[in-house]
Amino acid sequence: MFMKKILAFTVFFIGLQQLVTAQPVLPPVDKSPMDVSYYPADYPLLKIQEKTSEPCVARVLYSRPKKEGRPIFGELVEFGKLWRMGANEATELELYKPATIAGKKIARGRYTVYAIVNEKTWTIILNKETDIWGSFKYNQSKDVLRVEVPVEKLETPVESLAMTFEKVKGVPQLVVAWDNIKVALPFNP
Amino acid sequence: MRLFHGSLVFLFIVLNASCGNDPKENKEDSRPPHDSVLSAQSEPPVGNFAAVDVSPMDMSYFPVDYPKLKMANNSIAPPVARVIYSRPHLGNRRLFPDILKHGEAWRLGANEATELDLYKDVSILGGRVKAGRYNMYCVPQIGKWTIVLNSNLDTWGLKQDSTLDLYRFNIPITTGLPVQEFFTMEFEKTPKGCNLDISWDDVSGKLPLVF
Repeated sequence: MFMKKILAFTVFFIGLQQLVTAQPVLPPVDKSPMDVSYYPADYPLLKIQEKTSEPCVARVLYSRPKKEGRPIFGELVEFGKLWRMGANEATELELYKPATIAGKKIARGRYTVYAIVNEKTWTIILNKETDIWGSFKYNQSKDVLRVEVPVEKLETPVESLAMTFEKVKGVPQLVVAWDNIKVALPFNP
Repeated sequence: MRLFHGSLVFLFIVLNASCGNDPKENKEDSRPPHDSVLSAQSEPPVGNFAAVDVSPMDMSYFPVDYPKLKMANNSIAPPVARVIYSRPHLGNRRLFPDILKHGEAWRLGANEATELDLYKDVSILGGRVKAGRYNMYCVPQIGKWTIVLNSNLDTWGLKQDSTLDLYRFNIPITTGLPVQEFFTMEFEKTPKGCNLDISWDDVSGKLPLVF
C-alpha cells in the first residue's frame, strides 16, 4: 500500500516535471527595460480621458540603461564614437506625419536613432534600417538625417536614460537625458 | 533523482500558492483594477523625466530575436510580427481572482495598450488578418480566452472601445503550469507559422498565426 502511494506520487511528480520541461524558456525582464514616450506628451493617457487637443505626432521606443554609479559621457559612452542611444533593440522614432527637422523634410514612418556624442555637441542620426539590434551593424548609407545639437548640463543627474517630448516656445522637441547631460532635437510637424 | 526533482517542484508550488494570502495583499488592492503602475517606483522621476516603470515595457518579434538575426544577416526577409507590451508582475497576488476576473476585458499588459504589428497578412484560426497595427486585448473566460484585435491605437490599456473591435478569436488555455512572476508574451515557431505564447502565473494560451 505504502509502495503504491510512493509509486503514485512518483508518477504525479514525473507528470509535473514534464509540464516543466514542456514550457518554453520565457524571457526574463530586461535589465535595461524598454519604454515609450509620445508627442503630445502622455498622449495615450490623454486619449482615454478624452483630453487630447491635437493628433498624435510622434513616439519614441527605447530601452533604458542605468548609470549605476558609472561616469557615462566620455567614459561608458566614448566621445566621437557612434552610440545607440538606448540598449537592446535599436531606438525607434516613429513620425505619424511628415516633420521638418533642421530644415529637412522627413517623411512619416519609423526610423532608428543613433548619436555621436561629444563634449559640447551631439550629432543625432535618423536611419532607415529598422527592426535591428543596437548600432553594431549601423549602415551610414541608410541615414536620412544628421543634425548637431548642443549639450546642456543638468543639476540633478538622471539615473536611467530618459527620453521625453516637450514643447518649447511652440516648437516640439525630443529631449534625451542621462547622467548630468541633456540634449533636445526640435522638429516641426 | 526524479523523485527529488519532483519534490522540489511540489515544494515550489506549495510555497507559491501560499503567497496569495500574504498580508500585503490588502494594501495592493487599493490600486485601480488591472493596474500595477501606481505601486512604489524603483527610482524617483527627475524633472520631466519619468522613472522606470514598475511594469516595464518589452517587445517580442517573429522570427524570434529578429533584430539580432538582422544584425547577423542584413539581407534577411522582413519580420512577420512584433508585439509591444508592458510586463506587470504578480507581486504576491494570483492572476485569478486577484488581478483578473472572468468575463472582464483585460489589456494583456499594463500602461499603454498592448500593440501587435503584423508586417504581412496572416491567417488566425481560419480568418484572414491584414498586415497592420492593432491594439490587442483579451476577455478571459473559464477554459478559454477571447483575444481581440482592435483599431484604437496609441491609447492607454485601461479603457477598451469594443465598437472598434476588428477580430475576435477564442483560444483554449492551459492552467497548472509553473508560475511565471512576470506577464510574458513571446512568439514560437510552428510548422505552419508561429504561435503568440501568452503566459502569466500558472496560465498560458497560444494564438496561432499561419502564413
